Amino acid sequence: MDRRTILKAAGAGAAVAGFPVVLRAQPKSFKIGVVHPVTGPLAEPGQACRLGAQMAAEAINAAGGIKSLGGMKLELLVGDTQTKPDVGRAEAERVVNQGAQMLVGSFDSGSTAAMVPVAQQRRIPFLVDIAAADPITANVAKSVKEGQQKVQYVYRNFPTGSQFGRKAVQYFTEIFKAAGVSPKRVVLMYCNDLFGQNQARGFQAAQKAAKAPWEIVDVIPWPEPPSDLSTEVSRAKAARPDVISPITRPASAQLLLPEIRKQRVEILGIVGPGSPGLYEAGQLAALKEDLEYVLTSVPWANFKNRKTVAVADEYRKRSGGKTFDTNSGYSYDAMLIIADVLERARSTDPDAIVGALKQTNFTDGLMQYGGPVVFNELGDNPNAVPTMIQILGQKPVAVWPREAAVQKFVFPRPRA
Amino acid sequence: MDPVLVGQGLLSGVLFGGVYSLMAVGLTLIFGVMRVVNFAHGDMMVWGMYLAFVLATRAGVDPYLGFVLCAAALFGLGLAVQRGLVDRVVDAPHEMQILLMLGVALVLENTALLAFGPEPARVRTPLAAVTWFVGPLYVDVARLLAFVVAVVLTGLLYAFLFRTDLGRTIRAAADNVYGALVIGTDVRRVYAVAFGVGAACVGAAGALVSPILPFQPSTGLTLSITSFNIVIIGGMGSLPGAFVGGLLVSVAESLGAVFLRPSLKELVSFSLLILILLLRPAGLFGRRAP
Repeated sequence: MDRRTILKAAGAGAAVAGFPVVLRAQPKSFKIGVVHPVTGPLAEPGQACRLGAQMAAEAINAAGGIKSLGGMKLELLVGDTQTKPDVGRAEAERVVNQGAQMLVGSFDSGSTAAMVPVAQQRRIPFLVDIAAADPITANVAKSVKEGQQKVQYVYRNFPTGSQFGRKAVQYFTEIFKAAGVSPKRVVLMYCNDLFGQNQARGFQAAQKAAKAPWEIVDVIPWPEPPSDLSTEVSRAKAARPDVISPITRPASAQLLLPEIRKQRVEILGIVGPGSPGLYEAGQLAALKEDLEYVLTSVPWANFKNRKTVAVADEYRKRSGGKTFDTNSGYSYDAMLIIADVLERARSTDPDAIVGALKQTNFTDGLMQYGGPVVFNELGDNPNAVPTMIQILGQKPVAVWPREAAVQKFVFPRPRA
Repeated sequence: MDPVLVGQGLLSGVLFGGVYSLMAVGLTLIFGVMRVVNFAHGDMMVWGMYLAFVLATRAGVDPYLGFVLCAAALFGLGLAVQRGLVDRVVDAPHEMQILLMLGVALVLENTALLAFGPEPARVRTPLAAVTWFVGPLYVDVARLLAFVVAVVLTGLLYAFLFRTDLGRTIRAAADNVYGALVIGTDVRRVYAVAFGVGAACVGAAGALVSPILPFQPSTGLTLSITSFNIVIIGGMGSLPGAFVGGLLVSVAESLGAVFLRPSLKELVSFSLLILILLLRPAGLFGRRAP
């Protein structure tokens, strides 16, 4: 067999397989460093993020890749922060050294903040899929504004701590009103890490600013991860709360909720201003009835969108029965946004990508948004909003605001 | 300050302290006998927790009964780690031992991650849901049970070390290894038993807290650090020291959460550590180094 027949056969084969017969080099792939806490205390949400990102990249590639770049495929270089900021930074460096042209990550605010300098120094656009602490983007925007840095490479499609706070206060007040009860005394309890502190601060500031008709009567932070929360709950009980508002991590939620029941703290309900630990499948299996009727304001998937339902089904199969939630959902959307950005940038040059990021006006996301995905002068998406969800019949369902609700909330919770 | 809150803090602290004590007793025993610092201690405890979890979910064995099996399994693990690994570095410099034990810790943590996944788990047992109210104070029955069993097990361990021949041999080898060798003691066997018993203690401790404390593969490090804190406060190698140290640390953390901000409670226990090191460098019950 000579060279010509081989070429002919190859050409025929390609035509049969449905490829264009044009014999040009395959487009190179676009490498994205996807860094999440896949081991360590936050391994559960981190693994959800990774799977969400992988599924989205596969879907984008299967649909023909980035068309404006000749069908360029997305290639993920995954990294693991081990839930440690220093490791997060090292992993970001590693994937960039391996050729990552964009960064996505990293779930916890501490590690995300540690990855920011890598993005800025190496000129690698960084789309923060999840991380709520305000300074992550605000600090970069400030230094760009003051002329210390030329370009902002860090953008975030996730509500910030202060957005969380404003929405939580709004939802609390609306739900109390719609339920026809008037809780007065709210006790805020939170994990004392960067995320928990930022979240608690945002909630308190929003409560003050909104002049809410209820009061935060005590604020109880615990060291994270905690070994015991009995004294913390005793303190909360002593404050005679109507509502307990927890900001948890999965393990701390498993300590906190049974303790509230054991100490028979009489409350109208548990309403969280937004945190993991109150809705994941593993948590529901471990906490069962302790989670029933718990309300929490979290970024949630839009299950009124048929595409979301289909992806959620596939996600359930691939994850061994888990819900397509905040974590998997926002990481999934990050890939969709990157595909949209690349499509419009028509280039893989970092500054062209940043230019296209700033022009983003994306409406095909799977999560619940308060409008299209856009990035403001800080690099944040003001339309990334949380939804109030509630555990009803051992399932997390959207209950507020009305346009997002798929079921009516139950508040106050029935007496045991 | 609300007296009920202080009383409750004290009570909760003492009850939870029993488990801290049992966890530290295992560590101090291993150090006391062979001068090896077991950095995989917390991860061994996590394995005790997972075994209790598997027994409870697969076979319906309540952890308050299953802790015996967990202790036995961890005894085996301890024995294997000692015979297969630690034995080779007993006479090596401390940093070699530390590296080895950190390696064991990593292997244990990641095996747990592979076997059980990253989600935090907790053992569900009807007993763990029960609380008694004594006036304004509440008693968590799970903690009370863990405390009682921890006290009994520490007592048994004490009796084993001071009343049985094997126990006396272990103490003799701990006191003077060359003397023990001269009179024909099988020191390797003594070390293996001591490591096994230490691991068994922490296995039992793990099972006993599995209904109270949620755990995940990464929990081991925190437990190791707490154990070291307790053992140093009590005096490295001292059994009564580990026991009293466990109670002290737990009560200090609990009262720290009452009197200060709860997020500062670990500061309280580590301040206690610094204070004790300043006043009694060998720890509360420790003997001065020769």
